[in-house]
Amino acid sequence: MRVYVVDNGGQWTHREWRVLKYLKVDSRIVPNTTPFSELADLDGLVLSGGAPSVASDAGLMGNNGEYLDKAEYPVLGICAGMQFLSEHFGGSLGPSVNPEFGRVGLKVGDHTDLFRNLPSEFNVWASHNDEVKSVPQGFVVTASSETCPVEAVRSLDRPIYGVQFHPEVENTENGPQIFQNFLNIISERRR
Amino acid sequence: MLGLEDFIEEAIGKLKSDIPRKAIIACSGGVDSMVAAALASKAVGDRLLAVYVDTGLMRKGETAEVEAMLVDTGINYKIAEAGKEFFDALEGVTDPEQKRKIIGERFIRVFEKEAKAFGADCLVQGTIAPDWIESGDGVRDTIKSHHNVGGLPKDLGMKVVEPLRDLYKDEVRDVARALGVKASERQPFPGPALAVRCLGEVNPENVEVVREACHIVEDEIQKAASAGKMELPWQYFAVLLPTRSVGVQGDRRAYGKTIAVRAVTSVDGMTATYAKIPLDVLDAVATRITNTMKSQVNRVVYDITNKPPSTIEWE
Repeated sequence: MRVYVVDNGGQWTHREWRVLKYLKVDSRIVPNTTPFSELADLDGLVLSGGAPSVASDAGLMGNNGEYLDKAEYPVLGICAGMQFLSEHFGGSLGPSVNPEFGRVGLKVGDHTDLFRNLPSEFNVWASHNDEVKSVPQGFVVTASSETCPVEAVRSLDRPIYGVQFHPEVENTENGPQIFQNFLNIISERRR
Repeated sequence: MLGLEDFIEEAIGKLKSDIPRKAIIACSGGVDSMVAAALASKAVGDRLLAVYVDTGLMRKGETAEVEAMLVDTGINYKIAEAGKEFFDALEGVTDPEQKRKIIGERFIRVFEKEAKAFGADCLVQGTIAPDWIESGDGVRDTIKSHHNVGGLPKDLGMKVVEPLRDLYKDEVRDVARALGVKASERQPFPGPALAVRCLGEVNPENVEVVREACHIVEDEIQKAASAGKMELPWQYFAVLLPTRSVGVQGDRRAYGKTIAVRAVTSVDGMTATYAKIPLDVLDAVATRITNTMKSQVNRVVYDITNKPPSTIEWE
């Protein structure tokens, strides 16, 4: 299985690659300027987080929009990756009322896919100044926290997922399982 | 580590082809550089020289400890004394990024000199993933310039070889254990050494204070861990703050500096939580620091922030 990581300049982009590698996936980190044609044959794609404020520095997010428009395989956006996909499909972003750095108590509202077989509440780590203010039409919120109403989203008609927190860091509980669930989504679609 | 044996075999093979002639390895004695040295030594044998720079910024007894480890490896080595050059270059500098860049450049100047003397055209470094990630690049913010990345000049006349670039500390330790590298369990220590634990100016006097305080923190925490009072944290040390505060020592007013104790639990250094040290251990640390440092330090605080939002080292 080949799942690449699009590098949006995150501190933990390389950790996403490491988690995928440990889950025995053929993975590589690619710049976000890579043309989609070079990524068309993958089984899945992770859009990493990054320092850009997506709302104001959309130019720094490279070809993420093209990937989201053209990919037929599952896509997981993390942090800035989720913010970007939310805005791309018509949602809105803004500065967080309560920026989150470090431990966050996650409340899962939808166990259908990314959070399958996971507890309804567990600790995750986040690091963000902005947040999704309204999710796009055709998307639902799948997890939230006391300080951030949109911690995770999924599309209702395409295999597109987003998490505001960072499942790739060691301190996030059930992090590898969230990635494994994403890989399971990929496997199930291929069957 | 996943694929440990394959990694070792591939790394040695790649080092063989990356180093056609002679190489020096920048060796601080930490687990990263000692593992890189062990791999490079397996690849090129006597065509390798390990260079340890005594910057004058190392911990108490560290140079002797590292020299003993280097002797034990059987690798050619050289201890380069450069304390005066480092202190001269750092005079009056207080900005953390400026400190790191000056130190990175000083290191390179020493390595260039030693490489020339040894006839080497490759510089092996134990750079690991967090070093280049946090140093920043075209798309990534600079959190802090690691000396082995941010300090490299563009006109460096040597090929840089970094066999551990994609590894994190937990993986490097696995490689160290597999290779029997003695530094496998040493706690992480930053390349710029005590310079980034002296907030404000780095001078011999301040470095001596933080050196002794670091020694006390390490000693008390290791004693407590051996006595079963706590687990050994991932990293634990002292930071000298430039802030002075009022105290009372022996019925006399004191107006001394502050030591911050930092201890964290982590796996890879990319996220960390502050260590939940028992209060009686913190008490022993604080009492010993203030009794030893007398008029220089009259206050000790414990850092209770995680990474993020903090980093592990203060600068």
